[in-house]
Amino acid sequence: MLTSENTRSGAGARPEVAARRTMLGRATALRRGLQVAAGRTRGPDSGRGSAQPAGLDPALLGLLVCPLSKRPLRYEESSNELINEELGIAYPVVDGIPNMIPQAARKIEQAWHNYSGKKYHEIVVWQML
Amino acid sequence: MAASIGAAPCRTLFRRSCGKRLSAAWGLLGGARGLVAQGETHLGFQTVPEAEKEQRVYQVFESVAKKYDIMNDSMSFGIHRLWKDILLHQMNPYPGTQLLDVAGGTGDIAFRFINYVRSQREYRLRQKLKSHQNLSWQEISKSYQEEALKPLGGSQVVICDINKEMVKVGKQKAQLLGYTEGLSWVVGNAEELPFDDDKFDIYTIAFGIRNVTHIDQALQEAYRVLQPGGRFLCLEFSQVNNPLISRLYDLYSFQVIPVLGEIIAGDWKSYQYLVESIRQFPAQEEFKAMIEDAGFLKVEYRNLTAGIVAIHSGFKL
Repeated sequence: MLTSENTRSGAGARPEVAARRTMLGRATALRRGLQVAAGRTRGPDSGRGSAQPAGLDPALLGLLVCPLSKRPLRYEESSNELINEELGIAYPVVDGIPNMIPQAARKIEQAWHNYSGKKYHEIVVWQML
Repeated sequence: MAASIGAAPCRTLFRRSCGKRLSAAWGLLGGARGLVAQGETHLGFQTVPEAEKEQRVYQVFESVAKKYDIMNDSMSFGIHRLWKDILLHQMNPYPGTQLLDVAGGTGDIAFRFINYVRSQREYRLRQKLKSHQNLSWQEISKSYQEEALKPLGGSQVVICDINKEMVKVGKQKAQLLGYTEGLSWVVGNAEELPFDDDKFDIYTIAFGIRNVTHIDQALQEAYRVLQPGGRFLCLEFSQVNNPLISRLYDLYSFQVIPVLGEIIAGDWKSYQYLVESIRQFPAQEEFKAMIEDAGFLKVEYRNLTAGIVAIHSGFKL
């Protein structure tokens, strides 16, 4: 599932993908990936979803982590969910109240689960180029 | 039911006569609270598999959510307000404190906290103004601005409850009463809190911890999310010391409360569960030992109303 900010830089797949798999290429791709995913944050402060009444209280974003792995979450404005990429789960936000019960979390369909050990933004960038 | 036996002030006698499993070989889990098999726990006086307890408790509170406050008032004749006020006084928060109110459902503790902090801040500002007699008009207006901008002085409350219905009711109540800022609502499990380590100054759980399936896990989570120097406060029903009051209390609990529950909330079973779960909760000393096991220091308890309710307090140091 690709989010809006990652499809923005989409240029379609090119055969140079294979050539990019060098250490240098990987570093460049990492940097590009970070720029591409500028809206995405490692930590709490997204500053995007605060205006909507059904959205999440910004004060909470700084506090919430995944109850299972205690890792930071990413707030996805379009689907109004808090996403933990590592475990591939999304916690819904209903009426501005995040539901952090693990049983209520939705599993995200991920094609890149098969890529062992690769980071999210790397893989997205591979697919973009 | 158990009401017919109610004469015995001795706790263990009371429990064993309820006809639960008596085989000593099963007495591993549950300790002094009665004998249960491995993997099972108490749901009031019934014994249920642990996995089921959480769901059953959820259903209980889901069905009573809308009438929760009314029932509290009628069951305790409004005394629960006094208990919560005493808890706040013991907490004595200062502006700037981060509070986590677990099982805070309808938000009673959170609202009181905000009132307390607000009035403290106003009091301090007024004292400050009084003590500086020769302030310029600019300085006076600046201090009023400060009060308007940060009426809570940076305090924040996060209310966490496992039950969506209770949180919904609480949020509506907050809007009704006009509490707009400083409050955040989260649906979460006390055994697996969705917060990072060392985040909060005070952790409170009022009348909630007896509904948790694994109390020790909840206590460990409380220890984890508190900052060093943070305080754990638990307001919960406990064991009555006085034998006479104990008899009256048992009579009242088992004869009157479920009936009130049926009349007001239309739910006998939930309130039967409530009074049974009170009996199953460990006594003051045992609960104090559990809190100490979780790592808290300087653990104390204070009985209110002859031991019907107790406030346990511990520090993470």
